[in-house]
Amino acid sequence: MDYVFSILILVGIYIVLAASFNLIIGRAGLASIAHPIFFALGAYTAALLAIHFGLNPVLATLAGAVVAAVFSLMISLPSLRISGDYLMITSIGFQLGLLQVIKNIEITGSQGGLSNIPTPIAGPERGAVFSIIALAAAAGTVLLIRWIVRGPYGRAINAMRDDELAFIALGRDATRIKIAIFAVGCGLAGVAGGIYAFYFQYLTPEQYEILASGTMLTMVVVGGMGSTWGPVVGALMLVALPQAITFLQLPPSYMAPVQGMIFTLLVILFLFLKPQGLVSPEPPAPLAHRRAGRV
Amino acid sequence: MFEPAVLAQILWTGLATSSHMVLFTIAFALVLKVVKLWNFAQAGMMAIAFYAMYAGVNQFGWPTLPSVGFGLALTLAATLALERFGFRVLRARRSSSLLFFIFTLVCSEFAAYALTLIFGTEPAPLFERILSPVRIVAGIAVSDWDLLALGVTIGLATALALYLRFSSDGRCLVAVSDNAELAELYGISAKRAYLIAFALASVLVCAGMYLYGTRTAVIPTAPLQLMIFAVIATLLGGMGSVLGAAIAAVTLSLLQSYSILIVPSKWQGMILYVFLFVTILFFPSGAHPMRLLRRFGLRRG
Amino acid sequence: MSVLELRGVSKRFGGIVVADDIMLDLQAGQILGLIGPNGAGKTSLFNLISGIFPTDTGEILVAGVRIGAMRVHQRARMGIARTWQNMRLFQTMTVLENMVVAPRDYAGESLLRLCLRPGTVRQADAEACDRALGILERMQLAHLADSSVTDLPFGQQKLVGLARALMNDGPCLLLDEPMAGVEGQSYETMRAVVREEAARGRAVCVVEHNISFIRDLCTSAVFMANGRILERGGIADLLASKTLAELYFGA
Repeated sequence: MDYVFSILILVGIYIVLAASFNLIIGRAGLASIAHPIFFALGAYTAALLAIHFGLNPVLATLAGAVVAAVFSLMISLPSLRISGDYLMITSIGFQLGLLQVIKNIEITGSQGGLSNIPTPIAGPERGAVFSIIALAAAAGTVLLIRWIVRGPYGRAINAMRDDELAFIALGRDATRIKIAIFAVGCGLAGVAGGIYAFYFQYLTPEQYEILASGTMLTMVVVGGMGSTWGPVVGALMLVALPQAITFLQLPPSYMAPVQGMIFTLLVILFLFLKPQGLVSPEPPAPLAHRRAGRV
Repeated sequence: MFEPAVLAQILWTGLATSSHMVLFTIAFALVLKVVKLWNFAQAGMMAIAFYAMYAGVNQFGWPTLPSVGFGLALTLAATLALERFGFRVLRARRSSSLLFFIFTLVCSEFAAYALTLIFGTEPAPLFERILSPVRIVAGIAVSDWDLLALGVTIGLATALALYLRFSSDGRCLVAVSDNAELAELYGISAKRAYLIAFALASVLVCAGMYLYGTRTAVIPTAPLQLMIFAVIATLLGGMGSVLGAAIAAVTLSLLQSYSILIVPSKWQGMILYVFLFVTILFFPSGAHPMRLLRRFGLRRG
Repeated sequence: MSVLELRGVSKRFGGIVVADDIMLDLQAGQILGLIGPNGAGKTSLFNLISGIFPTDTGEILVAGVRIGAMRVHQRARMGIARTWQNMRLFQTMTVLENMVVAPRDYAGESLLRLCLRPGTVRQADAEACDRALGILERMQLAHLADSSVTDLPFGQQKLVGLARALMNDGPCLLLDEPMAGVEGQSYETMRAVVREEAARGRAVCVVEHNISFIRDLCTSAVFMANGRILERGGIADLLASKTLAELYFGA
């Protein structure tokens, strides 16, 4: 039963990650793959606040989200004023650099990882309660993003993606929109991090390496960039596939690379054969307006 | 600590170890200049190059030269296939740079996973013996590897420079890198230029991995880390300048080597990223000395 | 009243001079034609005014205010509206949507405002919608409001491009080859609209190759070649000049 709950919690966390990553790269078209590090920032911040200050998990998770959002500014502000391409490089550098810091300082437990994260909920209901939390966070994230991208703000994002130069020349501050979206997306990844930290109670730096971005890309590209439900499908797939692979009865040292190969291969195939992913973007909400001609 | 003998030794060894980094950087910078592509798939190319050579030497028992040839052949095949069936398709579809970015990165990750499957995660050098004979020259320890590394790098870099300057193909590359559409109007095939650029990059990558692999034990995810250096050096050298990138690579490498005098070893890995941030914040168009002087008001123009 | 002023604006890219000591003074109500052979630097001049490239030397002023330090979107908000040679409409959106994101101030641009005061955003949206429909009605395009721009024929797409630029109610309108490929009713509509805008006090600058349009509409013109303004003055004089004809058609 615990196993089922773990799966549900992972599904919830992955949906938050996929939906927020989709917001950044699918909707706003920002070239960043540093999503895992914001997941890490949220997780470590929440965990450390709980361990050293006894902060309750909800506040700690929110703090983690805020920290992740603030750190996102450290990447977006300097690089976006130059070009979107710079964001690409800055995001990789930031991810790897911050990982180095995490691996080397005592307080995060360095390479060995951070364990003994306190949790307020113990006992048999733990799995059930966390499942509800994770799935609620997932639902909240999907609906929040859906609300943002329908309506005027979403229209601006679409126009920006269609033709950024024309968009800017109309008087729109594209840079500010990108920075805002990046902050929201990274903040949501931080929330996912907090939930992960308090349920699994153990964090290691390896989970956030550059290969982790391949997993996130799989969810978003295969699920469908630019759609609301694509990330959900992507997250479900990401949780289901490894389970399916265990049925192959491979020796343990083969599992991780085979899984990785399948994920990356899927991304490549979809990029070429079905770029819109499994779930096509839904048409935007029509503009409500008076019928033309009536005065 | 700061005795001249030590400093000189660090200089020599630093220069020698910068060799493969320079080769990786030149390869990356060349592809960026000609194809206008941030080729993160180069990490995959590097991994394939090394492990093909490794297989040749250790699995098939071939002597060095055929193994290197095998490595080069596989790298060339993979790279040219990538350009022909991957990038060309994305280009024809006018895909965004985000898609190119995802594609190149995922290709490298796929290669890393595939090679982990085949070769495992145990660090492995190309030959079993890493150490090479050392002699003392003017108080500095000079190893055979150092000489080979410097020789290969200087040789290849010079050959590339001459090729770009004097051969007709080389000049096509430069023309395409300046303005691909204009070059097409003059009958220069951009597609061919891209293939040549990738082929040259494959050679450089292979040589670099040979040097790197004969000195260090390699794991499948190592190239991804090495790539970051190449990217930073390219940025620092100014995009579009292969020479600038090479100079930046040597400089960065030397700075890294000398940093052990000041920075504790556990923070060595961070230096590169600090440089990346400094570059993005203050020198986004590269740290060209003339531009720097102008920027700080020391030279009109 | 001087709406747009260029004082000694110069720009070179490597060895190519796209603008050489350009002096321009655009008045309210004026329709200035910018003519010259291809590659003369006409569109580049628009790009310099818009702020897409910084100038090497010189100043650009809008209503007496120096805009040299302003970024592209800020200059648009100062009142510089423009169209593009290749229209640059937002392909995945309808005509009305294209226009609604185009006013100088767009309420839906700020995530903060969207979250804190959604009511005002919705209100501003509705107002922009009304304005947009008004402009479309003027141009007899109102029936196309909900059509996807990719479904429209070329001439109508160009009209939509103009309509979108008109959502910017600022003092300055830059039109980059608005008539290229346009004929018949669309031509008439465009001509009428541009005349109206000038009559309402806008300063209009038009890059065009279509001589009859220039002769019809423009009050004065400026002839550019190789980044320099060679001659300026009344349309009739310019068009009658032999040297210019040689440069234009000989080029």
